[in-house]
Amino acid sequence: MGNKPKVTGRQRSEFIWGWLFILPTMIGLIVLNIIPIFQTIYQSFFKTGDFGKGNIFVGGANYAKVFADTEVWQALINTLKYAVVEVPLSIIISLVLAVFLNGKIKGKSTFRTIFFLPMVAAPAAIAMVWKWLYNSEFGLLNHILPGKTNWVSDPKIAIYSIAVIGIWSIIGYNMVLFLAGLQEVPKDYYEAAAIDGATGVQQFFSITIPLVSPTIFFVLVTRIIAAMQVFDVIYMVIDNNNPALNKTQSLVCLFYKYSFQQSNKGYGATVVVVLLVVIMFFTVLQMIGQKKWVHYN
Amino acid sequence: MKAKKLAALILSGFMAVSMMACGSSGDSSSADTTTDSADAPEAMKGSVEGELTVSIWDENQRPGLQEIIDEWSAESGVKATIQVVGWDDYWTLLEAGASGGELPDVFWMHSNQAQKYMENDMLMDLTDKIAASDKIDMGNYYEGIVDLYKSNDKQYAVPKDIDTIALWYNKTIFDEMGVAYPDDTWTWDDFADAAKKLTNDDHWGYAIAPSNNQDSFYNAVYSMGGEIISDDKKASGYDKPETQKAIQLFVDMVQDGSCPDLNTISESGADVLFESGKVAMVTQGSWMVAAFKDNEYTAANCDVAVLPKDAKTGKRVSIYNGLGWAASANTKNPDAAWSLIEWLGSKEMQEKQAELGVTMSAYEGCSDKWVNCTDKFDLNGHMQMLEADLVFRPYSKYTTVWEDMQTEKLKEAWTGEKDVKTVCQEICDSMNQTLSEE
Repeated sequence: MGNKPKVTGRQRSEFIWGWLFILPTMIGLIVLNIIPIFQTIYQSFFKTGDFGKGNIFVGGANYAKVFADTEVWQALINTLKYAVVEVPLSIIISLVLAVFLNGKIKGKSTFRTIFFLPMVAAPAAIAMVWKWLYNSEFGLLNHILPGKTNWVSDPKIAIYSIAVIGIWSIIGYNMVLFLAGLQEVPKDYYEAAAIDGATGVQQFFSITIPLVSPTIFFVLVTRIIAAMQVFDVIYMVIDNNNPALNKTQSLVCLFYKYSFQQSNKGYGATVVVVLLVVIMFFTVLQMIGQKKWVHYN
Repeated sequence: MKAKKLAALILSGFMAVSMMACGSSGDSSSADTTTDSADAPEAMKGSVEGELTVSIWDENQRPGLQEIIDEWSAESGVKATIQVVGWDDYWTLLEAGASGGELPDVFWMHSNQAQKYMENDMLMDLTDKIAASDKIDMGNYYEGIVDLYKSNDKQYAVPKDIDTIALWYNKTIFDEMGVAYPDDTWTWDDFADAAKKLTNDDHWGYAIAPSNNQDSFYNAVYSMGGEIISDDKKASGYDKPETQKAIQLFVDMVQDGSCPDLNTISESGADVLFESGKVAMVTQGSWMVAAFKDNEYTAANCDVAVLPKDAKTGKRVSIYNGLGWAASANTKNPDAAWSLIEWLGSKEMQEKQAELGVTMSAYEGCSDKWVNCTDKFDLNGHMQMLEADLVFRPYSKYTTVWEDMQTEKLKEAWTGEKDVKTVCQEICDSMNQTLSEE
């Protein structure tokens, strides 16, 4: 490392061209993501007027209200519950599927396509179909299973029913990422292990998992972020007069309710800022934690 | 290796198709707008310049309204396109449009939002135009709807329609259980008794739609002499014993099983249960006629009667609401927009609106022909409610805020977690708090 390398003409032109190539993405990010983030934070300090006019600065009043609002805390718990169920299960299932579909199975391309199909369907359509599957009067599930379960209106189980929809829709996407990760694992490791007498399960835990751990880490980080932002499924499936609403609505549902249904944009902004902080906390935690279990190369 | 390539091909094929699907839907809509704007110069040759966009949220009303608007276009030479956006998106769109100064030229207003739009000068002030017009006189329309679109003595919208609530019932279930069809002698007690008799393992007597208060318990509340909000919109009426008595009536029905529990209703909805023969009675608004008429089951088995009255007060109440035609304050074509609103509010077109079966009309005495818009039901059930005590749907500036709270809190009453009195007191306190901030 020592000596500072001299910047050659070639390096400079690479530098300029590199920036030029990422410029469109950068502009998109700044205009569509970064500026709105700061505007949202700014807005969370105001009691907003109608149609963006007549905002009144209220300092930390919105934050004080958020921390005292049991509905917000309940929504945070709901969001965490959803993430705790959806993220690990979807990762485990899709990793196992990916390993199988990476091996020698007849018609695996068909299976891959089938598992990926939910990603192609619109989330709103998925939610509508599941809503009817779960329906306690006319639903397919209650038709097949004995007894009458209120899958999406029993406050105790509704959030898990919702998480099942989330798992079902994301498995295919995770699987494709894992398949890509598995391609990187050299075949000779498995051959050597097989010669030494390792079983398939041992191979999975001692070779596959450590070697695809960077992919697992990537999926974990992105999935937790996405799971914390769950909205559309809950919004579509859980009706306004559903007794389970309180125990299922996520922070983004509350944000939507305050910002767009009750047009209290300042308070809505405060709710998402809280969500942003929570997500950042978990992401930083994982960045620190990765040193313990993620093996690069 | 081959299989992998194939899989990749199939997957990317799917992605491409899905992207194309998105692309094409985007394309078609943009194509529409381009052809529209291409036509615009031609339309500008007419007496009034330009072209109008008209926004509504109900697809069922589009064909009838288009016919009425086409007649106007033929006369004025201005083209007007109706754009239908679903209820939820409609308000998101309108709000974004209002903030950005890009509202549609002519659009529907609703009691939930009207005050906010009027107070912020988003709507065109129609007061002087109405005064100068020989077609429009506010005295001809139902008073509650006129007042709704008035702020600081200025009129911001011309009433479009009126709705009434009536008792829809399933004749087949009534016959099966040997109960006489509902008629105008029924009181709320008769109604509750009948619901009990009509309940068995296959169906319920009545299903309430708790999230839509206008077509359910509000009617009973006002019929029994209670109120939801005081006349000056400063205080909640939930602490009144009459209000609580009306809510108790429905809570009792849920408790004794003649009305399905909240879980069932929140998953399937009262109208869905009714359309599938699971309940004998529902209270529904006249806006549901189109849906019930198109549903094979309800068309064959169901009919409609007036709502019950209260035994003590003798009052039969229909909570009514009405839309208004409003124009954007900064439309590029104020004259054309007003001309269209004037047309839509005129006596002839209000009669035509009823005749085409779009809705009953806000112009008093223009709705008679609406009864004949379908031969599937005897719509006199809805028509006669116009003669009952009409009470305008309770509203204030932040209606949605306290309505959401009320729906949320009432759940505890429907499920029996808390007694009606406690819940109503909680609603009353919270609502007074919201009203004091208005």
